[in-house]
Amino acid sequence: MADQPHSESPSWFLTLSKALLGRQTVLFLRLQTRLVTNSFLTLYRQSPVRPLTVVCIMFVIFGFVFLVSVEGFSFIKLQQLALTDQIVGTVLDLLFFGLGLMLVFSTALLLYASLFASAETSFLLSRPVAADKVFAYKFHGAVAFSSWAFLLLGAPVLIAYGLIGEAPWHYYPCLALFFAGFALLPGSLGALLCLVVVNFIPRQRKTLIILAATVALLVLGFLVYQIGDATQHNNFDRETAGRFMNRLNFARSPLAPSHWVASGLRAAERNGPDDLGLTAYYLALVWSNGLFAYLVTTWASSFLYRRGLNRIATGGSLRRRYGGSRLDRLLAPVLVFVHPRTRLLLVKDFRTFRRDPAQWAQVLIFSGLLVLAFFNIGMFSGDTLWVYVNNISAGNVLLIGLLIAVYNGRFIFPLMSLEGRKFWILGLLPIDRAQLLWGKFVFSTTMTLGFAMALTLFSDVMLRVPWLITALHGLTVLVLAFGLSGLSVGLGSLLADFRETNPSKIASGFGGTLNSIIGLLFLLATFSLISGPWHVFMMLDNTVAIGVTGWVEMGLGVLAGLGVGAAALVVPLRLGIQSIRRREF
Amino acid sequence: MIKLDHVTKSYGPKTAVKDLTLEIAAGELFAFLGPNGAGKTTTIKMMVGLLLPTSGRVLIGGHDLRTDGERARRLLSYVPDQPFLYEKLTGREFLQFIADMYEIPDDEARRRIDEVIDLFNLADFVDDLTERYSHGMRQRTVFASALVHQPKVLIVDEPTVGLDPRSVRILKDLLRKQADEGTTVFLSSHSLDVVEELADRIAIVDHGRLISCGTLQQLRSHAASDGSLEDVFLRLTEADTAASTTAPATDGKGLV
Repeated sequence: MADQPHSESPSWFLTLSKALLGRQTVLFLRLQTRLVTNSFLTLYRQSPVRPLTVVCIMFVIFGFVFLVSVEGFSFIKLQQLALTDQIVGTVLDLLFFGLGLMLVFSTALLLYASLFASAETSFLLSRPVAADKVFAYKFHGAVAFSSWAFLLLGAPVLIAYGLIGEAPWHYYPCLALFFAGFALLPGSLGALLCLVVVNFIPRQRKTLIILAATVALLVLGFLVYQIGDATQHNNFDRETAGRFMNRLNFARSPLAPSHWVASGLRAAERNGPDDLGLTAYYLALVWSNGLFAYLVTTWASSFLYRRGLNRIATGGSLRRRYGGSRLDRLLAPVLVFVHPRTRLLLVKDFRTFRRDPAQWAQVLIFSGLLVLAFFNIGMFSGDTLWVYVNNISAGNVLLIGLLIAVYNGRFIFPLMSLEGRKFWILGLLPIDRAQLLWGKFVFSTTMTLGFAMALTLFSDVMLRVPWLITALHGLTVLVLAFGLSGLSVGLGSLLADFRETNPSKIASGFGGTLNSIIGLLFLLATFSLISGPWHVFMMLDNTVAIGVTGWVEMGLGVLAGLGVGAAALVVPLRLGIQSIRRREF
Repeated sequence: MIKLDHVTKSYGPKTAVKDLTLEIAAGELFAFLGPNGAGKTTTIKMMVGLLLPTSGRVLIGGHDLRTDGERARRLLSYVPDQPFLYEKLTGREFLQFIADMYEIPDDEARRRIDEVIDLFNLADFVDDLTERYSHGMRQRTVFASALVHQPKVLIVDEPTVGLDPRSVRILKDLLRKQADEGTTVFLSSHSLDVVEELADRIAIVDHGRLISCGTLQQLRSHAASDGSLEDVFLRLTEADTAASTTAPATDGKGLV
């Protein structure tokens, strides 16, 4: 019995498509369509709850971001600030600048995995297909995969902006057009970066990664310092705000594609007499440059892709020798409290992690940025208003929590899936399968807790936060480290996808998305219950006495936070352990 | 039909294939043997265009894979030891994709797809998604896809691994039939009984060098052994390991 009907497009349509796009392009478009359709149908037939849950959760997130954005833009509009236009412009510029950066790196990483380390591309390249067509096919997939987060998180912000600004109807289709054209630019840049790295610097890969991370840290550190320096005053007055905006000019350069999109959207929203032309101008600017970048990239791929594949396969020695490292030996005493067999599994996971620079480089960059940012916040100590210190220290804890959530979602959640089809080896080991999960849990908490706690204390010391708040921050981070690890390990086992070999795709798939969403909700809940009430109290500038009831209520909040943490730790791990014990090989 | 002209392939400082020269005629069933790490897979990857030779040329039907790769690859089919299938396509959709890739007209494609479905007994599962296939089902589907465009050169790497005896029999008959009908079959395998039964000529490589090439009888003479191919293979490779400095000694056209 057929799983899917073998439907064919009308022949005139096919002929026309081939004439317009080329035979091989149409071939891959049809393949992509068929794969997506079949995947969706299979998912729906096997378990309709899964796709429906994903859609529902996406609606909830979309709605939440939309409502927050509506509130934010309404507030700015109501204030009728002198700098309103500049503030909104800067927000949009920064939004697209950040999105562009994210697209560059995520496209480069995804393309590296799918072009140079996948069985599919080896299959395709041994067939009579042009290399640039294979490249374009994988490029479209990578850009689409990189962009979906924007659709979920960026689109509601921009729709809210249009609604509050009473934008005309054409603003909304322009939104889609601007984004589609814009995605081509950072996507192409990321793809070119990937091709250049693979073709010209494969033998010094480690050096390159360290160099790139250092440069990125220095540049971003400089920017963070500049922005921080601009706000180093007691009052955030107009002059300070103006200086602050000036320091963000790097994102507002007329040569920056992100600025073209932001300017085009603002023109579309204003709908003045000249604005339609301005919108069309920016749209043309974005698309013409996007298509040109895409053309240059695919042209480059026609001679760099096969060459790169060859270099990456033969660039190093025939058999690279791997052995133990000092880091592995350092790990053993740290994990002295773990059962020796579990420790062996932990060292295995750690080795896998440290031998994949694409993984740890991301953690390094993100962590480095946080450290730089915290160094920079030293300026808020001393004569800075307490209200700023209070808000910044709260924001820092949330950022550290986000770092733990991202690390767990990106690296810990896929661990069980990555055991893949060789999972039976672990299944046959003479150990309780629960130990596999406990091993990954210990691995995760060991990797996060020390670093996150050190960052928290560092941030609070720099800000001269009172000891009670510092202790609560420490407790929040402790609960987050344990809870988020429990969630990722438990759900990673419960929703394991043994067919997928790309960790990025596992993290971005259904299970990974669900894990990230629950992780973020847990982060917000934990912070709100343990540290949140104290920050609200502190915002009152110590003018209100807390009272006995207040102490009891805030104490109950801490207990509730600990309860939520325990639930996040126990429930997913229990489910995960049950799932792994039931699993057949 | 296949020509390797002084092909060398290096991985950094190490040389995986050293100055390999082979010439294989149309309709020949040519077996390529060697111990693990001898350079067989590297050679095959160069023959299908996945790797580029460090020096020398690989020609398929007269087309140089480096300069005229698309035409060269149009003539060949490659069945790797770990074949690829799209998990979210059915077997029939996969065969149709291959037919489209080789620009086979629709009517002819349908006829050929039906033929290979019959030939490999795929009818029971060809409309299921390939993610549900067993290893044998996957292997049969991959072979069907390799033949759907009637290649001039068929390159197969370890085709019998994981197949049941009946499937091995079908495969052996098929390879022989393909060669008899004019297709050049390049077979890399560790199943020496299969090679002994099927091959017109056999090449043995070790440490990246061709140590012997010819008919089974010629290989026996070279090894000074009247035993099975297994005996000959072991004698030649052990001798090569013992004297790994022995100079390469063949042009690939006959006995070394």
